[in-house]
Amino acid sequence: MKICAILRTVPDLVEEIEVIDDEIEPFAYIANERDEHAVEEAVILKERYGGSVDVIGIVDEDSEEEIEEPLAMALAKGADRAIKLTMSNKSYRRIEQAKALAEYFKDKDYDLILTGIQGIDAFTGMLGPMLSVYMELPFTGYVTSVEAEDGTVKVQKELGGGLLGEFRVKLPAILGIVSAEKPLRFVPLAKLRQVMKKAEIEEDELEIPEFEGVQVVKYYEPEKPEIVLLEGEPEEVADKLIEAFKEIGVL
Amino acid sequence: MKDVAVIVEIIESTIQDISYELLGKAKELASQTGGKAVAIAMGNKVDVSSLPCDTVYYIEDDALENFCSLHVKVLSKIVQEVNPKVILAGNTSIGTDLAGHIAVELNIPVASLCNKVSVNENVRATSLAYGGKLLVDLELKERGVILANRGSFTAATEGSPEVKKLSLSDIGIEADNEIEFIDYIKPEEDVDISKFDVLVSVGRGIGGEENIDDAKELAELLGGEISSSRPVVDSEWLPKSRQVGRSGKTVTPNLYLALGISGASEHLEGVKAKNVIAINTDPDAPIFRVSRIGAVIDIFDVIPVLIDKIKEIKD
Ligand SMILES: Cc1cc2nc3c(=O)[nH]c(=O)nc-3n(C[C@H](O)[C@H](O)[C@H](O)COP(=O)(O)OP(=O)(O)OC[C@H]3O[C@@H](n4cnc5c(N)ncnc54)[C@H](O)[C@@H]3O)c2cc1C
Repeated sequence: MKICAILRTVPDLVEEIEVIDDEIEPFAYIANERDEHAVEEAVILKERYGGSVDVIGIVDEDSEEEIEEPLAMALAKGADRAIKLTMSNKSYRRIEQAKALAEYFKDKDYDLILTGIQGIDAFTGMLGPMLSVYMELPFTGYVTSVEAEDGTVKVQKELGGGLLGEFRVKLPAILGIVSAEKPLRFVPLAKLRQVMKKAEIEEDELEIPEFEGVQVVKYYEPEKPEIVLLEGEPEEVADKLIEAFKEIGVL
Repeated sequence: MKDVAVIVEIIESTIQDISYELLGKAKELASQTGGKAVAIAMGNKVDVSSLPCDTVYYIEDDALENFCSLHVKVLSKIVQEVNPKVILAGNTSIGTDLAGHIAVELNIPVASLCNKVSVNENVRATSLAYGGKLLVDLELKERGVILANRGSFTAATEGSPEVKKLSLSDIGIEADNEIEFIDYIKPEEDVDISKFDVLVSVGRGIGGEENIDDAKELAELLGGEISSSRPVVDSEWLPKSRQVGRSGKTVTPNLYLALGISGASEHLEGVKAKNVIAINTDPDAPIFRVSRIGAVIDIFDVIPVLIDKIKEIKD
């Protein structure tokens, strides 16, 4: 199977995100967790059925995003090629990214394109379903496992509340991965460093078209919680928590 | 172009709760636009006669009994006929597959992760992005497809709509095999966490499988069970049966003690506890917004002390 996984970075929520009306400035970026699962699943499929895995990392031209490390990580895990795609202009509109990617994928002949089902910044829709319309390929998301079966894949799709559905999808297809079927494999830092040193990351540009349709009016922080947060020494905090447990009748 | 349409979600021939929430909102929006609240339902042998809205388009066929690639084709046809100003879909597995597709195909702007929506000349939506840490107000030109999170709107209960029942051949759609339904899979469970009155729930902050035992001990001392967020299950530190949230269980305990859980909306969708108490090192963690009590402290500093103190009380 010829597989491609799409990787994006998103703001690291552990760090501050500065808000300036209709713009945000994250302090740091990390790989989108669901995309990491898509890469993982791609590598699992390659190990099981043979073929190749290309991973494309999409970045914004003038942000501080570092896609090199997640791309090197994908190579360390077993991907064959890593391609950095720089967007010709900044875009939060998923539809613009989808249209551009569909152009990029023309003539690439992948059997399977895997994307993370959703990013934490997916407020203008999800990439997978949009890409599938432009590429005229079937799409389904919330996928947690994939099995190849002559010309199709049998997938398990989360339907909510613990229920899964099993579906047969005709190839070529696009799948939105929510979790890979196995935990993300661990890559020791030394190995990652080694790969980063000699990694050949190809580069290309992604010509972003313009669709107006949806506009960010503003970003803002939700209201602070009304409760007073307990702070202090563990002893003190534990006493207050125990008081609360008693109050609600569990102790 | 005044109507407000809802994509009704049907699984195992049952209309899902989210659809009633969306219809509640649709009725409110339709009263502002002067249009109708329209439900679009696709299935087989489903009773749609009392859906709370003005009109139901019900497309019934054996082939539509379970979700498959036909659904998106049918939906696209019906949406073109209804020509609504707003289309509400659940930010769910099926909702995402359908809504993203028709938005692009019919060239309607889309907003997702939404918990608010309003209409004027355009459509306005608020999105709960960045794991719940930031809100984004969006303006969609003239019309919009809105993917809304479960629990955002008040459900409407019953109505007596006009039902327009159609078959696949009525709308000129033939069966295809792009995506075929095979079967449902219901994972076996060691325990049903939705049955407990006390849940000690661990998130990624628990750091590793080796630390789960402390949380388990705490759960036992409080007479409850252990549950978790998704990353803990994805890492196989706990089995899937323990997962709370959109893809896991919805739980309703008296106490939900969240240890190292940030409170992403996908997680909170499953937390319907009377009392949430959260312990997290990040004072801005969204979990605190749904908590009765919050403690900003390292769980590894406070859990051992808590365990000792509760043991003392019990002795
Ligand atoms: C389609 C889809 C479905 C999903 N379904 C679910 C679902 O069913 N259930 C679910 O839970 N998630 C689900 N998710 C994932 C969800 O979006 C979040 O990624 C997830 O809930 C985050 O889990 P977490 O809070 O444990 O981890 P994080 O968001 O990483 O939070 C960890 C928290 O621990 C705190 N912390 C770290 N160390 C410590 C310490 N020593 N002491 C105290 N606090 C500490 C941090 O401050 C942080 O707030 C789904 C996502 C998608 C896209």
